[in-house]
Amino acid sequence: MSDQTLPRIPAAASRYLSRIPGVAFILLAMVVAFQVGNPRFLSTVNLANVGLQASLLMMLALPMTLVILTSGLDLSVGALIGLAAVIIGSLLLAGWSTFTALAAAAGSGIVVGLLNGFMISYLRLPAFVVTLGTMGLCEGLALALTNGEPIGGFTPAVEAFYRSAVFGVPTPVLGAAAFYGILSLVLYRTRFGIYIVAIGGNKDAVHLAGIRADLVHLAVYVVCSVSVAFSAVLLLGRANSAHPTVAIGMEFEAIAAVVLGGTSFEKGQGGLFGTVLGVLAITVLRNGLNLLSVDPSLQVVCVGLLLIAALLIDRNRKRVVTRIAE
Amino acid sequence: MRVCISACICNRLRYPSYNKRHVSRQGWIRVKPSERSQFGSAGEAEPAGLSEYPETGGPPLLRLVNIRKSFPGVHALRDASLDIHAGEVHVILGQNGAGKSSLIKVLCGAYVADGGDIEFAGRKVTIRGPADASALGVAVIFQEFSLAPYLDIAQNIFLGRERDFTRIGLVDKSAMRRAASEVLRQLGLNYDPATFAADLGVAQQQMVEIGKALSQNARILVMDEPTAAISEREADRLFEVIDRLKRQGVAIVYISHRMKEVQALGDRITVMRDGAVVDGFRRGQASAEEMVRAMVGRSLDQLSRREPHPAGAVVLAARHLRTSKLADVSLEVRAGEVVGLAGLVGSGRTEVVRAIFGADPLIAGELELDGVPLAARPDRSSRKGVALLPEDRKREGLALALAVRDNATAASMWRLFRRGWFSPGAAEKVCADLIERLKIATPGSAQLVRNLSGGNQQKIVLGKWLAAGSRLFMLDEPTRGVDVAAKTEIYRLIDELVREGAAVLVISSELPELLHLCDRAYVMRDYRIVGHLDRDNLSEKAILDLAVHHV
Repeated sequence: MSDQTLPRIPAAASRYLSRIPGVAFILLAMVVAFQVGNPRFLSTVNLANVGLQASLLMMLALPMTLVILTSGLDLSVGALIGLAAVIIGSLLLAGWSTFTALAAAAGSGIVVGLLNGFMISYLRLPAFVVTLGTMGLCEGLALALTNGEPIGGFTPAVEAFYRSAVFGVPTPVLGAAAFYGILSLVLYRTRFGIYIVAIGGNKDAVHLAGIRADLVHLAVYVVCSVSVAFSAVLLLGRANSAHPTVAIGMEFEAIAAVVLGGTSFEKGQGGLFGTVLGVLAITVLRNGLNLLSVDPSLQVVCVGLLLIAALLIDRNRKRVVTRIAE
Repeated sequence: MRVCISACICNRLRYPSYNKRHVSRQGWIRVKPSERSQFGSAGEAEPAGLSEYPETGGPPLLRLVNIRKSFPGVHALRDASLDIHAGEVHVILGQNGAGKSSLIKVLCGAYVADGGDIEFAGRKVTIRGPADASALGVAVIFQEFSLAPYLDIAQNIFLGRERDFTRIGLVDKSAMRRAASEVLRQLGLNYDPATFAADLGVAQQQMVEIGKALSQNARILVMDEPTAAISEREADRLFEVIDRLKRQGVAIVYISHRMKEVQALGDRITVMRDGAVVDGFRRGQASAEEMVRAMVGRSLDQLSRREPHPAGAVVLAARHLRTSKLADVSLEVRAGEVVGLAGLVGSGRTEVVRAIFGADPLIAGELELDGVPLAARPDRSSRKGVALLPEDRKREGLALALAVRDNATAASMWRLFRRGWFSPGAAEKVCADLIERLKIATPGSAQLVRNLSGGNQQKIVLGKWLAAGSRLFMLDEPTRGVDVAAKTEIYRLIDELVREGAAVLVISSELPELLHLCDRAYVMRDYRIVGHLDRDNLSEKAILDLAVHHV
């Protein structure tokens, strides 16, 4: 090395080691523990079940990762998916084609995303407050569209899609996996992706590099809202009905999954793979506790504990890894 | 194959696409790419610039002539000229507030000059924004880096120029990393370009910034106090790189106030003071002392000495203070005394007062206030009567968005409770007294502090501690950025303080100010106290002799 006097750059191996989020170890431990506690845990049926439960959360948490990488936040995803579900449901009931229904849902996503992105990126309003506002907007619209009643009884095609499988793998799981693949390509292999990480780290530097940083920043919120609106199909399929407020609160589960996966609210640190692990950890925990017939309210406590445990691991492991590297 | 790839990258480096775009969109850039090409490019191992601009002599690459810039109430630059030659290090020397930063900002397009000319290779040009400056090949390495921490080195270097590496919409990471390795190799570095910027030390980030600038075809590299945050060994490494760049024909503008570096690096040295260029030297023409003298000014007789008051008991005794920066500092201040803490910027003066106040943790050492041991913690020391006027009053001394009243009572809030309840009336009274006593020019106690002038703001910081009944006042650059009238007023207040038996420790970079105010002074260098001057021995020359490191 020509620069032995400088602080050592971590070697490739320890660099990858330090990029594995702490939740990976917890996930592994949980899988082992639940399998010991209930041998049905690793059965094909239950795994398909975990996959189905995970796929919806995945569809929210993956785009949320992009938003959080820009040092932002999107609280409106839970309300938006409810609104999109109601829009799709009502249009299908009224006899419109599936294509029209999906297009309308996508339209709602674009509008909400533009609204969020414009206020956050161009008007420089805090993301927390802006998306709290659009969250109320979406929730109110969904309630108004349905008079607060759940709607159901539309074509069995939606539920059939949700229940279908390819080579034994549920279609929604394949969908979520494909979505992960596409977003990974976007984040790690395109200019757009590089700018997302750069904006989270230093938006001014992105400006100075001659990039339209505000536009990129806005686009992230649009991407998030549109993909969330599309995933309303999974919500509809799961219950075969559209309830205006059924998904309220899911935004917090999505944010928890992202944070569990090691993505930080600052500096553009983190990534999509961690989010996948975070989603799996939350889903596995819920599912495992269900199998062990643990009280649902206790399950919520456990998700909270999981979050805290993962944060502590990540914090201390950084020190451990540095020590090993030295 | 490999040769082919790198040649192809070199071509891209030579004319980054964003440069072309700016040139075409903003047609008033007078330099065409064909003219720029004669200065070679960062992509070539040995640029052609060398032969055209030998190390000394020859016409300057860029000239700033009689640049003026003022802001409401301040002449940031009165008359500043600078010749920048290819293959030379041009050091700009000056105290804080001398106009170095303003000049750099004009050069890089952050400020537009009010008057004066800029010539590039003998032709008049205008710099109206950062795009113009980078089209001329000017790049600045600021103290605050512009790297995105979780992009890798390659992505940071080529941020905004990914198009050059994009095939069917996807960025070719390995091509980008190869190109980054090539850029770093020209600096003599072999960092792994896949490393996150967040995993680099400050010095390494600085190198990446330099690489980024060079890959953007920078021919004039401006470095703003580049050694401020790096170790001595890292600095040596930086100097090697600077030397290498010089040989490649890059012009370097180097801002510093460290005499050792200035003498080691500077081919030309320009000294600034009060917004104007006051002196210029070639390498070896002047001693460190001469340069410092030019830097601090000679206005020795402008101010008469303050009449001394009889000194009382020891108020502050600090013994063997050690912090992460300070090495073994001991000093004493008596009641009725104004004691100076002299030294060049960066010699550790601010660190001493911060340590005494408890703002920086003490590793070792003892503090006594009026003979009683003092815990170095801001909450304790402020109640025991220690006051700190920080160097950066806007950030550390005041809450700008709050009213005069809130700021004036911030350090004595605990005295304003009546039967457990905060008493607005008492706060109002304290504030009214201060406004009257310190002659603070404000429409009222509810006025927001940000709307007041620098001098009045400083009076409020002082008043805050007066209201708290402080006995020891530590004033870090108390008159920086205030006008002459307010300066005199602050001197009067300091005199009044010591007459009433307070002890004052004052830091100033202005020698005349120290000579006027102080009964005696400690002189600092390299984070230690290197001398003590009593009233009879206190002189400009004595301070400089101690403060400047003679190698």
